[in-house]
Amino acid sequence: MVERRFPRNLGSLEPMAQFVADYLGSRGFDPEHSFTVDLLIEELFTNQLKYGKGGGPEVSLRLGGEREELMVTLRDFDVESFDPTFAPPERPAGTPGGLGLKLIRVMSDSIRYEYKERCAIITLTKRLPR
Amino acid sequence: MTFEILVQEGGLVKLSGRLDAAQADRAKAALDAVKGPATLDLTDLDYVSSAGLGVLVQTFKRLHDAGHGFKLTNLKPRIRLVFVYAGLDKVLQLD
Repeated sequence: MVERRFPRNLGSLEPMAQFVADYLGSRGFDPEHSFTVDLLIEELFTNQLKYGKGGGPEVSLRLGGEREELMVTLRDFDVESFDPTFAPPERPAGTPGGLGLKLIRVMSDSIRYEYKERCAIITLTKRLPR
Repeated sequence: MTFEILVQEGGLVKLSGRLDAAQADRAKAALDAVKGPATLDLTDLDYVSSAGLGVLVQTFKRLHDAGHGFKLTNLKPRIRLVFVYAGLDKVLQLD
C-alpha cells in the first residue's frame, strides 16, 4: 500500500496520474490499466472539489489491494459531507453534468463513502486482470 | 502528457494528449471559435474524462442548434469506451 498527499486543486491531476502509473508498474499490472484508474481518481477528486464544500490544502490518495483488485482511497480533510453514492438520479445522455458519477458507477466494481470528524473518505475497488 | 488542440480551416479540429478537468477550459475556448460544421480528429487523444466530455457535448449542442454537423473520428478503443460508458455514443456521431 502506498499513500501520498496532493494539493487540493486541479494541478494535482497529472501528479496523481504519475503516482498511479508508478504504483501499477511496481505491482506488475498492465500499463493500460492506468487509463481506467486515472479516470476513476479524477472523477472522484473533481467531484470532491466541486461539491465538497470547504476542504483543507491537501487530500490524501492511497492505493492498495490484493492480487487483481486495486483499492483506491481518497481522503478529503476538513470538508462538508458530499456522498457520491447518494447523488441525484442519472440525467439523460447528452445532458451536461452528472457524467463523472455515471462513469464512476459504470467503471468501478464497488464504491463506499464514509464521513467522520469532518473527513470525507471515498473508497473504491477495481478489478484489474493481469 | 500535455494537451493540445488545433483548430484548422474547414472545421477540422485535432486534439491530442490528455483532456482532463485541468484542460477543459482551454479546450472550450478553442472550440468556441468553431462556428460551422466540425470534425474532431481524436487520433492522438490519449485520455478524456467527464470534464472533457462535457466540453464536447456543449460544443455539439451549440453547433447542432445552429444547424451544423459535429462528428468525432479516429477514437482509440479506450477513448470510445468512455463515450459508450457515458451514453454519448447515442448522442454524438463517432466515426
